[in-house]
Amino acid sequence: MNFDISSEQQILQDSVDRFVRDHYDLDKRQLLVLTEQGFSPDNWQSMAELGWLGVSVPEAHGGFGGNEIDTMILMEAFGKGLVLEPFLASTVLGAKAIADGGSEALKTEMLPGVVDGSRQLTLAYAETQSRFDLEDIITHAKSDGDDYVINGYKSMVSHAGSAQQIVVSTRTSGGQTDKDGISLFLIDADAAGVEITSFPTVDGQQASEIKFEGVKVSSARILGELDNGYRLLNALATAGILALAAEAVGAMEILYKDTVAYTQEREQFDHALSDFQVLQHRMVDMFMEYEQCKSLLYRATLEVVQNSVGAQRSVHALKYYVGKMGTFIGENAVQLHGGMGTTEELRIGHYFKRLLVIDAQFGNSDHHLALFAA
Amino acid sequence: MDIDLSGNDLAFQQEVREFLAANAYKNGTDYAEWRLNWFKLAQEKGGWDVTKWPEKFGGPGWSPTQHYIWEQETAIAQTPWDLPFGLSMLAPVLMSHGNEEQQQRFLPDIRDRKVNWCQGYSEPNAGSDLANLKTKAILSEDGTHYTVTGTKIWTTLAHIADWIFCLTRTSDSGKKQEGITFLLIPMKQAGIEVKPIITLGGAHTVNMVHLTDVKVPVENRVGEEGKGWGYAKGLLAHERTGLAGISKSLAALENLRKQASEVKRGNGTLLDDPSYRAKLAELEIDLLATEFTELRSLASAANGAEPGPESSILKLKGTEIQQRIQKLTVEAGGIYSAAWGPMPVGHLFARGGMQGYLSSRAYTIYGGASEIQRDVIAKNVLGIKKSQSK
Repeated sequence: MNFDISSEQQILQDSVDRFVRDHYDLDKRQLLVLTEQGFSPDNWQSMAELGWLGVSVPEAHGGFGGNEIDTMILMEAFGKGLVLEPFLASTVLGAKAIADGGSEALKTEMLPGVVDGSRQLTLAYAETQSRFDLEDIITHAKSDGDDYVINGYKSMVSHAGSAQQIVVSTRTSGGQTDKDGISLFLIDADAAGVEITSFPTVDGQQASEIKFEGVKVSSARILGELDNGYRLLNALATAGILALAAEAVGAMEILYKDTVAYTQEREQFDHALSDFQVLQHRMVDMFMEYEQCKSLLYRATLEVVQNSVGAQRSVHALKYYVGKMGTFIGENAVQLHGGMGTTEELRIGHYFKRLLVIDAQFGNSDHHLALFAA
Repeated sequence: MDIDLSGNDLAFQQEVREFLAANAYKNGTDYAEWRLNWFKLAQEKGGWDVTKWPEKFGGPGWSPTQHYIWEQETAIAQTPWDLPFGLSMLAPVLMSHGNEEQQQRFLPDIRDRKVNWCQGYSEPNAGSDLANLKTKAILSEDGTHYTVTGTKIWTTLAHIADWIFCLTRTSDSGKKQEGITFLLIPMKQAGIEVKPIITLGGAHTVNMVHLTDVKVPVENRVGEEGKGWGYAKGLLAHERTGLAGISKSLAALENLRKQASEVKRGNGTLLDDPSYRAKLAELEIDLLATEFTELRSLASAANGAEPGPESSILKLKGTEIQQRIQKLTVEAGGIYSAAWGPMPVGHLFARGGMQGYLSSRAYTIYGGASEIQRDVIAKNVLGIKKSQSK
């Protein structure tokens, strides 16, 4: 048994930590939030040059050929910096969809651009009625010769406004909530009939609502198997959950450490706040839950990498626990910072908001608790 | 003991309902005009515009049950917005400690909602440790005025306030609770600068207020010099009772159920989800208990007792309940709670839900943080004293 990362992974970790330290303080980040894209094209290019955008792309297509552990290292560091660039949407979800489900021709066409940063992808899976159920899909694709015609609506799609291609879950047969009859397509964002409306999210990121009206797409753009796309969709959700949980763990570390530091500086009643035992115990609880989240993160990530029997359950456990404890740690970081914690001026509020959104992405804690218990 | 409403109480309830229904806001009419008229009509009912004021000062002289009925009915009806600073926080201090001239000068404008007040208590280094405040007030040699310099923080709506009631330090000798003086200061004057503080929900409600050599006539001092802490403590007890908001929470819970019933989940709605239902049920049980804790507190207040340390229970429970309602609203919104900005996305309640949740994080901080409330209960109710170290 060994929980140490390899020397190659250590190099990756050092370089991503340095990147976050150099490029992400709160003021710089909040300026990026206000831009139309919502992130820095320069940072994106740097990420490409450092090889991170191809971390999970096979070496044959110019990538790093890494696994979920490499992604975890990157995402945890991104979580510490509240990084805005669409790494999750494009590399973790989009590139994986093509790498795992695309034809060789499609991989050759698409993946090099993802790796060099010129192509940005995203995944559109949620619908207005679906809440957290991946299989609840109304958007449908109808066969039309060699093509398919797509009609429907996708909601809360991360960073679709700056993406060139969108992976879209559609229904090609079966009923609205059947796991069979789902097919994934890779659709050009600028295709006729695609209407994208973008808006900010509370955590300073970008999302879009997307309408598909008679959008024509070639059958060569099917990812995974026709009618059997749920497997790939669920694998993408799993990859997304692992990445989000790693990001959350990074954010939690900042929150508990900032709180420990602040309570030692701030004096009330002629004492540092940290002298008060009730606050000490609260911070110990925050720290403990951070460590427990990290343990579940390692557990689920390693089980997914090794394709273990219990991997799916561990992923549910992880998302449940990270959602619940992210809120716990965030709320207490704010509480222990007092009035200052409720302002936009300190960074903790921004980490807290990110953790709130992470809880809602790919199913909240209640949703995954129910799946775990089922 | 008896919880049934008497015949008289039922008649009162009916009267309140009729008043609220007859004077509800009508869409398309002038809101500001309606608001001031509403308070006028409420005043004509016999002090319904200042329900918590003593009869001597124009209040209605209601029994605890009548107060409870009023809270219940106004929580579900549409009533005009109102601010607590002058009405519920300053007015009781003026009534107990102000002189007659001050009462006549300030109370009518507060009652008529003509003048907005804000509260100048907290300072950057005096939060939970409020008595640590440093804003200096120096009495002139001729004894006619104070010169006030210092910084107040978290001043709610200072940017629209006409006046601020302020705790200032007039002496550094003795315990820090001594030497605090309660002053009334007009906001619109040179030497007062209001800087906005933007909070997590993106809203501007609180401010930093800098006072630089602001001259305050001694006539604007409430009570004696150096006794302000005692007056403020009574005021904090009023503030804490007012912050519990139980009737509003009961109404908010009903609203939450309605919202959850709009959220589709599988073949049903979120209300069919056993874990969500259980959370709503737990919340409701806490509310049922806290509602009666409030009633018990109201009943003791009716016997002439000032709201005492037991009001701390209400602030703690009440604000935690409000936060849980907000949290469950965010959960009901699901991923749509993340949407921000002016464009409507998904469930319409979801965005307001996130905003409300983020704002609600301050409920357990202001008016005495929950940790402080527990200290107060431990000390004053449980009687726990610090032991001498051995």
